[in-house]
Amino acid sequence: MRALTDPTPKIEIRGVSKSYPGDNSPVQALRAVDISIAEGEFVSIVGPSGCGKSTLLYVVGGFLNADGKVLVDGKVIHGPGTDRGVVFQEYALFPWLSVRNNILYGLERGGLASDERAKIADRLIGVIGLKGFEDRYPRELSGGMKQRVAIARTLACDPAILLLDEPFGALDAQTREVMQDELLRIWLETRKTVLMITHDVTEAVYLSNRICVMSARPGQIVDEFRIDLDRTIPREQLVTSDAFNKIRNQVWIAVRHQALAAETANAAI
Amino acid sequence: MQRSDRHSYLWSPIGRIIPLVVVGLIWQAAGTFRLVDPSFLPSPVRVAYAIADLLTGREIRDNLLVTLSRAAIGLALGSMAGVWLGLMMARSEVFRAYAAPIVGGTYSLPKSALIPLFILWFGIGTVTTVCAVFLACLLPMVVNTFQGVRSTPRVLIWGAEAFGTPPKGMLWRVFLPHALPDIFAGLRVALGFSFVLAISSEMVASTNGIGKLIFMYGENGAYDYMFAAIACVVVVAFLADRLLLIATDKCLRWHESSARRELA
Repeated sequence: MRALTDPTPKIEIRGVSKSYPGDNSPVQALRAVDISIAEGEFVSIVGPSGCGKSTLLYVVGGFLNADGKVLVDGKVIHGPGTDRGVVFQEYALFPWLSVRNNILYGLERGGLASDERAKIADRLIGVIGLKGFEDRYPRELSGGMKQRVAIARTLACDPAILLLDEPFGALDAQTREVMQDELLRIWLETRKTVLMITHDVTEAVYLSNRICVMSARPGQIVDEFRIDLDRTIPREQLVTSDAFNKIRNQVWIAVRHQALAAETANAAI
Repeated sequence: MQRSDRHSYLWSPIGRIIPLVVVGLIWQAAGTFRLVDPSFLPSPVRVAYAIADLLTGREIRDNLLVTLSRAAIGLALGSMAGVWLGLMMARSEVFRAYAAPIVGGTYSLPKSALIPLFILWFGIGTVTTVCAVFLACLLPMVVNTFQGVRSTPRVLIWGAEAFGTPPKGMLWRVFLPHALPDIFAGLRVALGFSFVLAISSEMVASTNGIGKLIFMYGENGAYDYMFAAIACVVVVAFLADRLLLIATDKCLRWHESSARRELA
């Protein structure tokens, strides 16, 4: 793949450390994290809960300041930008806007004519299967529908980078699989650069090119797995294949190792 | 709200009148059986005649309009200033450091205590009443707006920032919409305060208005007319509250509360 050998990475995380003020001493959430993500790559970060995975994503999003540098297209970022589309764990839809207006929200700053924007919104409402729900408010939607709107809202602006913070964490198992397939389809179609945070190892293996395993707090990248699976075969075949399960088990053991280490560390305190 | 079937009749339109009828009957009985001196507690029938008499004249209507316009001006100015102050306090640490002690110090002060001061400054009349209403409405609006803006989830703020919303736009696009349910809750409290302060201020600091009218009837021993005037205020205040609830429902259709909001 040409994109993976591109000399300038799309996203470069260089020596990022982050501490929060704690009760007695500052709590270190991230320690010297280095990750390079090539254009078109789908990278997942997995790790025990509370390890600072989401913090890392918020730093890349530009919402939190941290020590170290984050570069996008070789330029240091200062704050949020429309080049990086974010899907939050809690959907973060504006509850006072209808489905259509939520999707239109991000398009307003793009300099498009209003009928142009309406066309994009209508197309995306069709893509996420919410025709007939355009004028509903988020409170009237199920979790899965809300997450589809959140993804559509982010895709509407056509960002080069997608930052996903446990995007399917709040969904039931069946809806989650449907949404994963949807995301995979979108990624295969658009080849956007994706950085996804998840605690679901199967999800990470199913979707990513590369998985970074993060240690318990302070979060560091302790393991890395390249995933070379054929994404074009149906889910049942892929998930039950030996190749899939082999890599899934490797990642799972690596994460479990970190989770156990975290528990021992907590018990010692 | 859960209602048991046995008492569901109480919530029908006719059922809702039952408690009022019961109170009226007890009131009437108290006079008829001489439990209370009827010259101090006129019977409902006499009050009804007084209401009928008042409604045919201009006196009650003119004074009510005067009071309502004073209350409305004070409420409008107080709410707008309150929303602005609450927003500023929530978004600026420096502003909050200066304003918080003043808000905290005056929040529980009965605003009617300031009426003598206003009389000294502004004399007898509209300005004094409007000032009293303004102050009474200001604080619930400040506190509620502040609360509503401060409780904006950070993902909503971050989400808006990620879509390129400029800092000025955040106020209109994120903070105020998020605070709207709290602002409406504050408005309902402020509406009640506006009637209280307008009427009590008119009693001591006005030559007209429904407060003055009630006070005068009381002074002159025309208790049936005094009750009649009070009844008119009750009806108007009730209707104003209902109108506000309907407006709230229209504006907050998106909010979780709208499915279970009741006209209670």
